[in-house]
Amino acid sequence: MKFEKEMTCIVCPNGCKLEVIQNDSIIVKNALCPKGEEYARNEMLNPVRNLTSTIRVLNGRLPLVSVRSSKPVPKGKLTEMIKILSEIDVEAPVEFHQIVVKDILGTGVDIIATREVLRDYIK
Amino acid sequence: MIIDRNVVIIGAGPAGLAAAVELSKSGVDGVVVLEREPYEGGILNQCIHDGFGVIKFNEVLTGPEYARRYIDEANKLGIEIKKNSTVISMSKDKEITVLSPEGLLVYKTKAVILAMGCRERTRGALSIPGARPVGVFTAGVAQNLVNIKNIMIGKQVVILGSGDIGLIMARRLTLEGVKVIAVVEKMPYSNGLARNVTQCLEDYGIPLMLSHTVVNIEGKERLKSVTIAKVDDNGEPIPRTNKKIECDTLILSVGLIPENELSSGAGVELDELTQGAIVDENLQTSIEGVFACGNVLHVHDLVDHVSSEAEKAARSVITYLNNSYKDHDNILVKAGDGIRYVIPHTISGKKDVTFSMRVDRQWSNIKLCFKNGSNLIKSFNYKRLSPSEMVVVNLKGTDLKDIDGLEVSIDEV
Amino acid sequence: MKNFFDVIIIGAGAVGCAVARELSRYKLDIAVMEKESDVAAGTSGRNSAVVHAGFNNKTGSLMAKLCVEGNLGFEKICKELDVPYKKTGKLVVAFDESDIKGIERLMDAGKKNGTPGLSFIDADAVKKLEPYVGGIGAMLSSNTAITNPFIYTVALAENACANGVKFYFDNEVRGISRKDGKFRVSAGGEYYYSRYIINAAGLYSDKVSALAGDEGYKIYPCRGQYYILDKRTSKFLNMPVYPVPRPGIGGLGVHLTPTIEGNILIGPSAEYIKTKSDYSVTQDVMKQLFSEAKELLPPISMRDVIRNYSGIRSKLVGPKVGGFGDFVIEESQVVPDLIQLIGIESPGLTSSIPISKKVRDIIGNKENLVEKSDFIGERKGVLEFRQLSTEEKDRLIRECPEYGEIVCRCEQITKREIMDAIENPLGVRTLAGIKYRARAMMGRCQGGYCLTRIVEILTKEYGIPVKEITLRGKESKLFTGKVK
Repeated sequence: MKFEKEMTCIVCPNGCKLEVIQNDSIIVKNALCPKGEEYARNEMLNPVRNLTSTIRVLNGRLPLVSVRSSKPVPKGKLTEMIKILSEIDVEAPVEFHQIVVKDILGTGVDIIATREVLRDYIK
Repeated sequence: MIIDRNVVIIGAGPAGLAAAVELSKSGVDGVVVLEREPYEGGILNQCIHDGFGVIKFNEVLTGPEYARRYIDEANKLGIEIKKNSTVISMSKDKEITVLSPEGLLVYKTKAVILAMGCRERTRGALSIPGARPVGVFTAGVAQNLVNIKNIMIGKQVVILGSGDIGLIMARRLTLEGVKVIAVVEKMPYSNGLARNVTQCLEDYGIPLMLSHTVVNIEGKERLKSVTIAKVDDNGEPIPRTNKKIECDTLILSVGLIPENELSSGAGVELDELTQGAIVDENLQTSIEGVFACGNVLHVHDLVDHVSSEAEKAARSVITYLNNSYKDHDNILVKAGDGIRYVIPHTISGKKDVTFSMRVDRQWSNIKLCFKNGSNLIKSFNYKRLSPSEMVVVNLKGTDLKDIDGLEVSIDEV
Repeated sequence: MKNFFDVIIIGAGAVGCAVARELSRYKLDIAVMEKESDVAAGTSGRNSAVVHAGFNNKTGSLMAKLCVEGNLGFEKICKELDVPYKKTGKLVVAFDESDIKGIERLMDAGKKNGTPGLSFIDADAVKKLEPYVGGIGAMLSSNTAITNPFIYTVALAENACANGVKFYFDNEVRGISRKDGKFRVSAGGEYYYSRYIINAAGLYSDKVSALAGDEGYKIYPCRGQYYILDKRTSKFLNMPVYPVPRPGIGGLGVHLTPTIEGNILIGPSAEYIKTKSDYSVTQDVMKQLFSEAKELLPPISMRDVIRNYSGIRSKLVGPKVGGFGDFVIEESQVVPDLIQLIGIESPGLTSSIPISKKVRDIIGNKENLVEKSDFIGERKGVLEFRQLSTEEKDRLIRECPEYGEIVCRCEQITKREIMDAIENPLGVRTLAGIKYRARAMMGRCQGGYCLTRIVEILTKEYGIPVKEITLRGKESKLFTGKVK
């Protein structure tokens, strides 16, 4: 069965308008780079997204630390992951790229801090 | 207290940091960066989403990670960055008055790089009719509250404006459990990057209502609802298309304005269109030795371009400090058909130039043309150009030889 | 005894606070009941901030008499109470011959009202004073001034408070009864007792009067909408400029007024409305306001607009009757010891002190008022850091580093000023309260920079929970809580 879809690539700001034809194989048109092709393939078979959010910090100079997934995660698992992140906290000091959640939901992907948060000793 | 420096950079956001690093790597000393926040990084600190650095580093980074690259570099180079220091005025003689908890300082400097960034357009400036309840926030303020201060602003949100900040906040709020009812956009197309419409709206089933705007705000103490209406080609509301949307929060993503209060206080000439300084190909403003780069010069979409522009400003400062600007650029660059604005405003015709510009509407299959009168100097083909995506084009000095004027325009193919 | 007073003042607007301050000179126990969360929450905080000279009021009226008196004494009271005041003068500009006739009428009325400082000036003189405004001539009123009505009301209240007056906010009066020559006022779930009631409830003075048993009044709310222009337009206007009033000819007769801080106000419009709390701004009025303003002052553009707002006048005459309604300043003819201050629209602000003296006289005619020997006549407000010299700023920061942190960038307001505003003697903790006392969030970015910083100060330094931060008290909560 032939399946055609149009999509905007989200990998880089170019936002190429891709045409994807799925038959026995997947053909991607209009991609300006191989990353776009890879993105389109994933969207058809196993859509993934980069997860970015915040996690509560205890005793830090800032109340939150911004975090990201070390690799894109399955799109369908985003909601569940966000819930996990809203229920945990991390103790300051937090280092840049410190792993805050290892292997989240068994995906092999870590959640890492994208900034440092120093400890607040004045409290 | 008066302090002498060679270069004062106002702002340690992406523009200021990139300029400082470039100066320092080239061996310039006596550089100080003045930053009003307690930390460096500027607006990138609250941009916790990714998409930064694709051009500069060939990586997909989040805002804080992009900033970190430059902060680390700056620290390694031992660059002097004074935090908690707010510049309150700049004189035309490049005397910079700074307020900090240590006191009032005055810097006397040879060169200045303006890197103050932008502020947001407000509800007041839009004159949206209706009541004045609590619950109307600009997108940047909402982003700061949610991402940095850990404060949630509402439960049922309508976003006015489909610029990138609005789209990003649509996703951010949705991920934090807020119902984003719709993004309302006055134009018939989105003002943000296409990829953001996909990953922020389509991914979450958030409707994008094009050619609509908010015509009334309702609510006594807290916002209760907004009334939206369809608009015609002139942006005027079409009668009898009013629709009420119940919500408790309205987020405005309706434009950024370069923050040039300090610049105009010193007498720097500003361009009415860009609201930033008028600059030559060296990014020098109308005041000798004062240069501008980043969002304070014109609003960018990609931080990668901000960094490149800042590095250029830094290189110009180096040349300036060596006393190598003898002549002033005297060839006016004109924004022709299809071009909303183009920077720089003047060139010498003797050097390579990086042109940054925005088109005035959506274009397909066109040629971007650089002409001297009726002579076509160079043209570039584009499948698609949009006002929300800044166009950056490099021309060589050899291309610009012997011209007496330059106009940039769109020609249909 | 707790909750027992000699005088209860209902309404903490400019008039209510002026009465509070005046009466606090005497040995009286005084309380002010205010339904909102701060002073000047009604008309007193939403006007043109002009100290009128008195030529524009009906000859022989209380308005005319008290306006002239109030104008002449305003500079002194502002000095005593550390309130901004600037005697700019005012121009009423003529554009044609019928306007010139209008000016003659105004000068005549002014003379009859006893307004000093009125003169006719020709087109050249107008150009010298106001180069951007046209006109063939104008009346110059040298005595007209501008002030900050919010700070004025705050100052009166703070001074009254320093002299023993108790302020009760979020305390709407719901019932007034009388027994054994005393009033029992029901407010905020408690009873308060008093010998006198001063009805200074502005828009709701008819309602308060009825609660007390005097049903003889009806207030017709009449809204006025305004634009505020960016400070960069201050170079275009030096003093209030009004066109000559043209009765019966369309148009709003829009006024241009500079503010003490350097903005320009356009407005007000005038439209009768149904609800007393409808502070909306409307599309059609705003459009008309701006186009008329631009005719008067060509160099302004919509790009200069930073905000709009509206105020509501307490009119005693309705739209059908029209015409003139004078101040009502008298003891109720129905309820003894109820002193009515009703229909206090413009020039209410200007007349506030003379009104307070009349209230004192009404009471003074009924009993012996004994002056306090320890009355504190002066009051100091939040120090305006931005007005200091470079050396003074530096010295101040070294003494107190909190002056070295800018919170409101547009207006150059420091952390210490914000904290002083939060620590105000009346105990008001709303964002609007801070805004008006420190002048934060009023610049061109409208809080874009400072809102998050002020919120941080409130939560970190004063321990106020995020959920309780309001703009104007009650349900005007900004936030739902923490994200995480």
